[in-house]
Amino acid sequence: MARTLVETKLYAPHPRHVLVERTRLADRLNDAERARLVLVSAPTGFGKSTLLAAWAERRAAAGDAIAWVSLEPSDDDPTAFWTYVAAAIQRAVPAARAAATLLEDVEPPPVATVLAVLVNDLARVDADVTLVLDDFHVIQSSEVADQLAVLLERLPPRVRVAIATRADPAFPIGRLRAKGELVEVRAADLRFTTDETAAYLNEVMSLGLDAPDVTALEERTEGWIAALQLAALSMAGRDDPSAFIASFTGDDRFVVDYLIEEVLERQPDDVRAFLLETSILDRLTGDLCDALTGRSDGRNMLEALDRSNLFVVALDARREWYRYHHLFAELLRSRLNDERPSRGEGLHRRAAAWLEAHAERDAAIRHALAGRDWNRAADLLERAIPDLRRGRQELTLRRLLGALPPELMRTRPVLTIGYVGSLMSNGEIDDIDGLLADAERWLEADAPRSEMVVADEAELARLPSAIAMYRAAQSRIRGDDAASVEHAHRAHELAGPDDHLGRGGAAGFLALAAWTRGDLDEAHAHWTEAMASIERAGHLVDAIAIVRALAEIRAAQGRLRDARRTYERGLEAATTGRAVPLRGTADLHTGLAELALEANDLDGAAEHLRRSAELDDLGLGLPQNAARRRVVAALVRAAEGDPAAALNVLEEAEGVYLGEYFPIVRPIPALRARLWLLAGRPADAEDWAAACGLSVDTPVGYLREYELVTLARVLVARSARVGDAAPMRDAAMLLERVVTAADAGGRRRTAMECLVLLSIAGDQLGEKPRSLAALHRALDLAAPEGYVRPFVGEGEPMTALLKAAIAHGIRVPLARRLLAAAETPPKQPLPEPLSGRELEVLGLLATELSGPEIAERLVVGLSTVRSHTKRIYAKLDVNGRRAAVRRADELGLLPNATRR
Amino acid sequence: MDHIGGSGRRGHGARHYEIRIAGHLDTRWAAWFEGMSLTHAPDGTTTLTGIVADQSALHGLLQKLRDIGVPLLSVQGDQE
Repeated sequence: MARTLVETKLYAPHPRHVLVERTRLADRLNDAERARLVLVSAPTGFGKSTLLAAWAERRAAAGDAIAWVSLEPSDDDPTAFWTYVAAAIQRAVPAARAAATLLEDVEPPPVATVLAVLVNDLARVDADVTLVLDDFHVIQSSEVADQLAVLLERLPPRVRVAIATRADPAFPIGRLRAKGELVEVRAADLRFTTDETAAYLNEVMSLGLDAPDVTALEERTEGWIAALQLAALSMAGRDDPSAFIASFTGDDRFVVDYLIEEVLERQPDDVRAFLLETSILDRLTGDLCDALTGRSDGRNMLEALDRSNLFVVALDARREWYRYHHLFAELLRSRLNDERPSRGEGLHRRAAAWLEAHAERDAAIRHALAGRDWNRAADLLERAIPDLRRGRQELTLRRLLGALPPELMRTRPVLTIGYVGSLMSNGEIDDIDGLLADAERWLEADAPRSEMVVADEAELARLPSAIAMYRAAQSRIRGDDAASVEHAHRAHELAGPDDHLGRGGAAGFLALAAWTRGDLDEAHAHWTEAMASIERAGHLVDAIAIVRALAEIRAAQGRLRDARRTYERGLEAATTGRAVPLRGTADLHTGLAELALEANDLDGAAEHLRRSAELDDLGLGLPQNAARRRVVAALVRAAEGDPAAALNVLEEAEGVYLGEYFPIVRPIPALRARLWLLAGRPADAEDWAAACGLSVDTPVGYLREYELVTLARVLVARSARVGDAAPMRDAAMLLERVVTAADAGGRRRTAMECLVLLSIAGDQLGEKPRSLAALHRALDLAAPEGYVRPFVGEGEPMTALLKAAIAHGIRVPLARRLLAAAETPPKQPLPEPLSGRELEVLGLLATELSGPEIAERLVVGLSTVRSHTKRIYAKLDVNGRRAAVRRADELGLLPNATRR
Repeated sequence: MDHIGGSGRRGHGARHYEIRIAGHLDTRWAAWFEGMSLTHAPDGTTTLTGIVADQSALHGLLQKLRDIGVPLLSVQGDQE
């Protein structure tokens, strides 16, 4: 859905009069040719916007594309901020529209993606582009500051950013300064010099002052431009400006306090009243002013103010919209507040009403809140909830709803539930019980419905189900799964046939509960229903998360082919017909990597992991993917025969682990213990076994299976190490119990692994027939699906057993294939294999692209490419690009496309 | 120094602050600055004094001063 933009924020202001030509500053900015950042940082009233507007005008005349954003407090939110930036860039350079288009999507991608796309957009533009961010001090979110820092870091060569602000931005500018890529203009540069003061007062304002008067004014105002302008206006038409200057300079009052009074006193009553009453507006147009003043001269008044240069700035070329100079507006507002304290609220209310009628939702909400017009604010917010939520402006929603008086919520169940949603998404769950109870009271049969207030009737029907859903979510957060299931069932029953989101959410909860219990078929069925509903509701990103659930369940059931098909279908849905794949696409590649590994396709696994990492960099992974893909990478490393590297990667995975919404069926500590065994560190694995709280008698449950099998592996290793059969027997007993439970639950992947281990244990215990019987069963499970890794991963003992199976005529073709796989050395015969990213850089080195072009393609800095290149040369043992490409080709490391 | 992230509001308690600025700011601003009282000193400075609810209120106050272009000279707070 296209969000409504306030167009006037995207126009560079059009000063009607050029006050003073500021050649020294113009020269300074013209030297900014190579600067990435032009920072104009000074207090209010120093002519920052005017300077940048004049500069932008000159650059535009020289053929530059100018993207201008006048920021407002409501832009202090990543989505809002980048929506305006992308829109400004699109207007300046129509071809660079990918980022703006992305943000118009129903489910806009994360900002990291938008940023990467924006950089690509800008890199392709065949013009110099200047992005001006005016009033940047309204941005206080460190998130936005960090994102802007990233943009600056990656800025294509022909693009520069100019920032006007009252406070230095919260990102480091030291590096830009050191590289000579920063041009700074500060208060000391902006203040009028004596010459400029004289030129302004005598040439522009024709005041005919003598030198001592000019100097006195310059000293009293310290060159503060706003003050000098006010002073000039106070003196215009006076018979004796020197007398004015004498009393002004002999006074200790805050300089603009003194001057504003002089200026306002000299205005006719109607102008003065107009200025005060309209001062509460961020943007003015004739009709809106009339709504506030109750008069009909708004348009004429604004034009007159513009002509007499009374502190209005035109916001569009047709001069329909204006704003006051910020400082002037502040002075007027404080005066209104002081002179007519009761007047402000009424003015805000009238502004809110006009803005609502003119579909300026956000500004209407702001004024309704300022005017304490709670009912209007509540109505507007209630209707804005679905849109703000889809647009990921949860934080803004939380802030706005939190500004309403709590008692107002009590009669507004739909608003209350919207508030619950915004609290939950911000992790605040303490007040939720009370709020849910408040909302639920209105659903009871004897509720005094006539007192209930609802602005969004459509949402009212969804309420019963939504309340049950939030209860289910809350119970789950508290770890009460039984209660969660109960609430989810209720939510499912209560959701109407068209309430796809409600039905899907409830089905998802039931699926989670079944999955946690180990009822895989039931979980799969609930997820399937959840996915269909969620897709119908248009929440495609959530649907991708479900693809992962469906595939993981199939994989646990030993249905490798189904699992792969599930991911592949998901991938198709996530990418077909889209400029940028849906968020979550990275997760699908991670899943496919793991499945490729099961089939012992290490190259395929590496390729999917490379894609996954690349998409993660673009922000197209769900939060869990960062850790998950590293876990899979660790498994791949282990399969490549490098358990030490695997352990390092696993440590990385732990560093970025953000928790998991799905049941944790493969805890990282247990996986690490397995890698320790592979790495020849049995003592560490024994430490894990001693601390894990499990024993051979621990009851088997789905969520325990992985750890129990790990324990069995520790016992098998111990037995071999100390030459004692007892631990091996314990391991075999434990494995038998796990197989029984896994068989009963249809969890064939676990059963397969246990049978493989049982076959090894049986062999070691001298129980040949039992060993071969177990292997036979494992091969039966593997045969139709193409599993390879569960066998070849066991190394030498399994090779011997496979030979025995062939000798005994058990599953001969499969056993032969597995044997062949086990005896094939791993690909990438390098002492230290290349990482996914290095392979990618290698692929680009094989093209005609230059270093900077490669950096651009990968959206990284040139220095990053250089360090990759250096490592690649080292690993390939070459010392140049051509030699690297030749060697890589020999080793078959280049992707097909570049090889051809 | 206040304990940050402590329990409830007590950890971020209200404090008495003195903010010194250059120039004599009209007393009419008192309402704008949430009831801070304004004292003019003979050296041409103004001191705003009063109880400020918490850190974010203090920052809000400083921002309001910034937005009217008042030069800030010092900020001092005592534990109440």
